[in-house]
Amino acid sequence: MFFATDKHHQPVEELAKDDFAVIDDERVIRDFRSFSRADLTKLDVVVLMDSSDSVLPRFRPQMADVLQLITQWPWNQDDNLSIMSFSGLEPHLLCDGNCRNWFDADRVALPPGGGETPLFDALDVAANALIERRQPDIWQVIILFSDGQDTISKHSYADAKEKLLENGVLVYTVDVSEASQPSYGIATLRKIADDSGGRCLSIAEGVDTILNDVINDLESARVVTYIAPQSSADFHAIRILPTRNLNLQFRSRRGYYHHSGGAR
Amino acid sequence: MNLARSLLFLLCGLPGLLAAQIGIYQHGTVVRMHMGDCILAQRGLMATFGGPATATGQEACPEYTLVSDSVVFVIVGKSSNHLIPLAETIDFRLRKNELAVLIDDAKRETRFTIKEMVVRSEWERMQRHIDEQGGASQTNETKR
Repeated sequence: MFFATDKHHQPVEELAKDDFAVIDDERVIRDFRSFSRADLTKLDVVVLMDSSDSVLPRFRPQMADVLQLITQWPWNQDDNLSIMSFSGLEPHLLCDGNCRNWFDADRVALPPGGGETPLFDALDVAANALIERRQPDIWQVIILFSDGQDTISKHSYADAKEKLLENGVLVYTVDVSEASQPSYGIATLRKIADDSGGRCLSIAEGVDTILNDVINDLESARVVTYIAPQSSADFHAIRILPTRNLNLQFRSRRGYYHHSGGAR
Repeated sequence: MNLARSLLFLLCGLPGLLAAQIGIYQHGTVVRMHMGDCILAQRGLMATFGGPATATGQEACPEYTLVSDSVVFVIVGKSSNHLIPLAETIDFRLRKNELAVLIDDAKRETRFTIKEMVVRSEWERMQRHIDEQGGASQTNETKR
């Protein structure tokens, strides 16, 4: 699955299969088995909220933004939403599976956690939760609200990344820092989003913009399949590049794990 | 202002347009690409063999394997976003020890540093050998 945008990051409506090539494990692939728009049928979303010391002053506004995002999201009947926060020594599952009505003004008023920031542990736990209920026709998405500064995780980012990439989980990161003072962890947030094929956004853009960006993104996704090239490595790095128009930009996860022959 | 723009366009685009009209371009296909070291592309061939490398940052440059009728070129871009459109066939020519690729629907050329040149038959022989080795190691792993 991938996303095509123009040089202004606007989704491209018209895209033909000969407009792009896939670099898979350094090999240029132009011969595709199939190419189509992705059907956005069912979503399984985990919202991860940083509630550690470093974001405490902005935690309540962040909770209010999350509430607004969840309320405005155009959910389908069968979509799943789980909500987790992370602070102290571990992540906390606040609501699992069917949480669209769980979040209300009373929850927003709850006292925040404070303490250390187990960011990568939270990503790992969220990835595990999604993997457990993985089904082929469900898109799995993590929306991470944080300043990107991990301070205490037992897991490394590499642990979580492997699970996210292997299962095609898309991560959108939202930097909760003030616009005038970008977070030291912004590079981490960008990397997490870029590796999965998602996007790094800023809370300063406003919830409406974030929501539009994510929904437009999901609705403009394309799926391409091809025979995976032979390789001695299990991990295939991938990149999508234009064949003619160099103004086209493509986003996808950075790679996938492949243990035997077949299409991806 | 418009005159200046027109002159600029002519100066930039003329070599490519002329070359295209004269028909001196060769044709080839990019079959491999990866992000590699920028040193060769940024500082020339001598940097590879010269003294200690200076810090060039973490930037990686695109490295392409371009297969033409008789020669296979490995070429390197000069920055991370120095890209070749990966069409089935691209037009290029050799120019002052560099490889100039025609891009943007033949409106302009962009130049790449040549890292390696191999006769195609020799390159194909090496690829067959690599594929056979890859196949053999996969068979061994399956047996284990």
